[in-house]
Amino acid sequence: MQCEETMVKVEKISFGYNSKKALKGIELEAGKGEFIGLMGPNGSGKTTLMRCINRLLTIQEGLIFLADHELKTLNMMDIAKLCTTIPASIPDDFSLKVRDFVALGRTPYVTNWWWEGDEDEKIVDEALEEFKVSDFSGRRLNELSTGEKARVLLAKGVVQRPKIMLVDEPSAHLDLKYQLQVMESLRSLSRKGITVITASHDINLLTKYCDKVILLSKGEIVDYGSPHDVVNEKAMQEVYGVDVSLVTKGDTIFVLPMKPSEPPTDAEIVKTGQRGMLA
Amino acid sequence: MSSEEVIDRWGRKRHAAKSRQGKAHGVKHAKLKLMTIIGLGLVSLTTLVILSLTFGTIKITFLDALDSTISLITKFGDPEGMNEMVIYHLRMPRAVAVIIVGAGLSAAGAIMQALIRNPLVDPYITGVSSGAGFAVTLAVLGGVYIGGLSVLTVPLSAIIGAVGAFFLTMILAEGAGGRAMSYVLSGVIIGIGLGAGNTLLMTFNAEQVHGILFWMFGSFAYITWEDAVIITVPVAICLFMVLMYARDLNTILLGDEQAQQLGLNTRRFKKIMVVLVSVLTALCVAFCGVIGFVGLIVPHVARIIVGGDHRLLLPASMMIGANVLLVADIACKTLMSPTELPIGAVISVIGVPFFAFLMLREGKRYAM
Repeated sequence: MQCEETMVKVEKISFGYNSKKALKGIELEAGKGEFIGLMGPNGSGKTTLMRCINRLLTIQEGLIFLADHELKTLNMMDIAKLCTTIPASIPDDFSLKVRDFVALGRTPYVTNWWWEGDEDEKIVDEALEEFKVSDFSGRRLNELSTGEKARVLLAKGVVQRPKIMLVDEPSAHLDLKYQLQVMESLRSLSRKGITVITASHDINLLTKYCDKVILLSKGEIVDYGSPHDVVNEKAMQEVYGVDVSLVTKGDTIFVLPMKPSEPPTDAEIVKTGQRGMLA
Repeated sequence: MSSEEVIDRWGRKRHAAKSRQGKAHGVKHAKLKLMTIIGLGLVSLTTLVILSLTFGTIKITFLDALDSTISLITKFGDPEGMNEMVIYHLRMPRAVAVIIVGAGLSAAGAIMQALIRNPLVDPYITGVSSGAGFAVTLAVLGGVYIGGLSVLTVPLSAIIGAVGAFFLTMILAEGAGGRAMSYVLSGVIIGIGLGAGNTLLMTFNAEQVHGILFWMFGSFAYITWEDAVIITVPVAICLFMVLMYARDLNTILLGDEQAQQLGLNTRRFKKIMVVLVSVLTALCVAFCGVIGFVGLIVPHVARIIVGGDHRLLLPASMMIGANVLLVADIACKTLMSPTELPIGAVISVIGVPFFAFLMLREGKRYAM
């Protein structure tokens, strides 16, 4: 997909927790309305990258631009109006009602002292209808099923009116129907012009729905492109350490994990010239 | 709509659809709810205030108390006769202090529970009560008379102790990373340290501890108009300020990262809140002693009734706190009259069964 307008530009960024580098020289560009999937094993840097993009973590090297503005030049409210983060779960231990929770998405825009204005109310009502949560908008968060919570989180993200949406594990803990529903919703949002970047362990959902995928390993980008270009048996084996089988159905490729790859023997390492691994 | 009925665990019939679903009504409904809370709270508070003015060592009937109060209000003070003198000089300042302390401690509890996202937190979590206790013991045992005013020895040393303990907690918490849990742990550590110091001081001066213990148990018996004004003005200012932050308190419930991505400077916001809560609590402790239960339980009762939205929760907590503490104070004066009971113990005795009932009835829905 050709980018008309770059919404997220990441230039050679690095970030580390103490001395451990979690991201090394990451570069990426996401255009308006693109749906990008971040894939990679645990600890590969997917969530860290998303946290750096909305400045929840401060990068140590490199530059990030959101809608052509350098991230460091933006204040927290500016970032909140450009970019929303949708977490994998809702903290529900203090019994907020669904509507109040969704309305919190208007925080960057509310100018009144206490209550949301008429315009905010209208935007919240539209989002509640769009994600089919208005029927239970008076219920408390701790009374919702996981699928309902996922829709409520999306509604809150949308009322923030972001240009960029960062979504962490959208399909976690959801059954098959809700997994597809959530991914359909995200794709639909991207088609409306929101740049969606999502991190997930579900490779099949990412390859089915995303325009581009980024394969991360140990804080570095291994490959970046269309799912057909990035997802292949060799890459999966190298990055995930798993032997996989690929099945193609229509335009979509599906990854079937077969078994954990055997670690290479010393003789194979010597033969393939990967001597460094023996050190 | 389906008319399917279900029987809940209390044996009541309910419409299944209604019990599971429920549309929210938006801002207009919330405003109406807020007005109802304030209206009901004020009606009940007015009744309780008149009741509070009738009880005490000198017998005054409810109607006489009402007459005297109206007369005092129309005259802007200036009491005449025995009843008006007793009501004006002894009982009114006490009622005013009880209301403001009840509202202050309850709001402080609601704020700290939201900041730390822990339902077991109370306003004393930053070590202020232990600091105040330690300083009062030290001052009383050392025979300190601040500025020659023996009447102010206890409140002033309590404020100094509370503020000192609070700053120690802040320094420790900030040094440990400034996270919500750092404040809790630092407060607990400072509290334990000062509490232990207090115990040791009292152990070696057993003959002088009665007065200190009486203050520690909490009492409004000796509140004068001067005390009432000293508590009311700053506590009311603090309460007004925390009400202005009600929306941000909702945001902080989502966790630090979510609050930040909504544009809230969480670190700055938490510091402001912790300072406000500590000032509130220190003032309450200084004049009225350590009153438990209100700051811990009242916010939960309010949450059960109005939900977690702080724009409703804070006013509801203040109203309930003021009412509950006033009931407890009336009980202190009347149950063993003429002996005054410690209000901290009385409020717990009244409150525990009530809260247990609420917990059994609403606990599952409230996720306790």
